[in-house]
Amino acid sequence: MKKLLKRLIIDSATKHLYVSLYKGNQELTSYYKKGNNDHSEKLMPEIKRQLDTSNIQVSDLDEIIIGIGPGSYTGLRIGVVVAKMFGWDQDITVKEVSSLALIASSYDQEGFILPEIDARRGNSFLGLYKNKDNKLLLIEKEELTNLETYKTNLTCEFTVLSEGKPNITKILNSSVLREVKDIHTLTPNYLRKTQAEKSLETNK
Amino acid sequence: MIVLSVESSCDETSVSIIKDGTNVLSNVVLSQIDIHKAFGGVVPEIASREHIKGITYVFEEALMKANINKHDIDLVAVTKGPGLIGSLLVGINGAKAFALSNNIPIIGVHHIAGHIYANAIKETFKFPLVCLVVSGGHTELILMKEHFSFEKLGETLDDAVGEAYDKVARTVGLGYPGGPLVDNLAQQGTPTYDMPDISLGDTYDFSFSGIKSHIINTVHNLAQRKEKLNVENLCASFQKTVTDVLLQKSLKAIEEYDAKMFLVAGGVAANKDLRRKITEQIKQVEVIIPDFSYCTDNAAMIGVAGYYQYQKYTLDESMGLSGKSRVELK
Ligand SMILES: [Zn+2]
Repeated sequence: MKKLLKRLIIDSATKHLYVSLYKGNQELTSYYKKGNNDHSEKLMPEIKRQLDTSNIQVSDLDEIIIGIGPGSYTGLRIGVVVAKMFGWDQDITVKEVSSLALIASSYDQEGFILPEIDARRGNSFLGLYKNKDNKLLLIEKEELTNLETYKTNLTCEFTVLSEGKPNITKILNSSVLREVKDIHTLTPNYLRKTQAEKSLETNK
Repeated sequence: MIVLSVESSCDETSVSIIKDGTNVLSNVVLSQIDIHKAFGGVVPEIASREHIKGITYVFEEALMKANINKHDIDLVAVTKGPGLIGSLLVGINGAKAFALSNNIPIIGVHHIAGHIYANAIKETFKFPLVCLVVSGGHTELILMKEHFSFEKLGETLDDAVGEAYDKVARTVGLGYPGGPLVDNLAQQGTPTYDMPDISLGDTYDFSFSGIKSHIINTVHNLAQRKEKLNVENLCASFQKTVTDVLLQKSLKAIEEYDAKMFLVAGGVAANKDLRRKITEQIKQVEVIIPDFSYCTDNAAMIGVAGYYQYQKYTLDESMGLSGKSRVELK
């Protein structure tokens, strides 16, 4: 019999904090709630609670799936550093997934989905996905731009989605996961240089 | 007791392993200073990005150098603040994950308690003691009557002393960080320039914004009159005034509280003039100044402080622990 993988899934890139435990394709327990800039207080207690109620230790995990953004930087880093530390400390396979793909996965119907994460100053993190036969496909590469501008360049029918509980079964079914080969190199996908770096470049 | 400690409050990612509060088995510091130099100061978002890039390397090296088994670690101690919030949260959540992964209790340590306890690596504390905390973010005189009891006698009302050094360095066209640059030039000069009185009378409080403005005005006026500025002498004048006031208030506190020991803590403890003045002029009590490597931010100091904090409170703060950019030393 094939061993059922124990998986921990984390995404802290948006206002919503998502944590779940899976055994094979089966959800054991999950958390999906809007936070108040408090992912740092909420994430680790929630992971501990889920592990405790499922009688699983960190060292028992076979795989960690981490939403690597794009998204709100401080929140995003909290999930990524936890996944990185677990992966490094216990030598667990870590797979990264776009936080936009996680939002898109929540949409049940067939068709095009435009997941959107607020990036402030009138901009959003965006990417066009397609849901087909319970599989998620990235159609247009993710970028940081104005939502309305992005929309006018699209010719297809689509649904804009700013939140939604990730559908991990669909994520596992699609080709949106990327295995992290060297855990030390795991970092968030910021999709944007810092203001300081940009100013330094323009002043050169 | 073996403590693994983590410090990430500003621009150094550091992990240390310490046995019984004094024996530093490893103290790995990954400094970002060369990255921030290009920007003339620490850029918070860049600092946070660098912390998450480096954190597992630093953990790995600290464990390797200490040559211990992970299962021998009894406590994880991590800086809870004050500091840059984005930077703090990388260290705190990394430390929490490590603690949960290995079933080890965890506590949050005040950054300044860490600076103070860097001195406990060298000597056993004798109470009451007076500690002068001088860094880029702090200028405080603290009275300790026992372990982990901090009474603030006075503090800066405006800029921290390290901040004043950075601003003076910028005014006279030196680079960043300003402290060591101004200190080095001051060694080559004589204090010939007039400086304002910054003693604030009889209190234990400090103020450095007045002398900073005075320096800016002096440089400006000389430039207008097309007179030549002697940078070495200006640095020497500034440094003499500043170190004099630090020394004078420390002496007063030692006397008033009948201290048995005097400590210096924080990055500015590396200042050559300050070290010399203190060792030459404070003779009535035992004086401890940390080695240069423990003056700047490092995890060893957090581990030592964490060891004593845990002796006193034995409190596992567990997974709810979080960071704060501002937090009182209690
Ligand atoms: Zn410090």
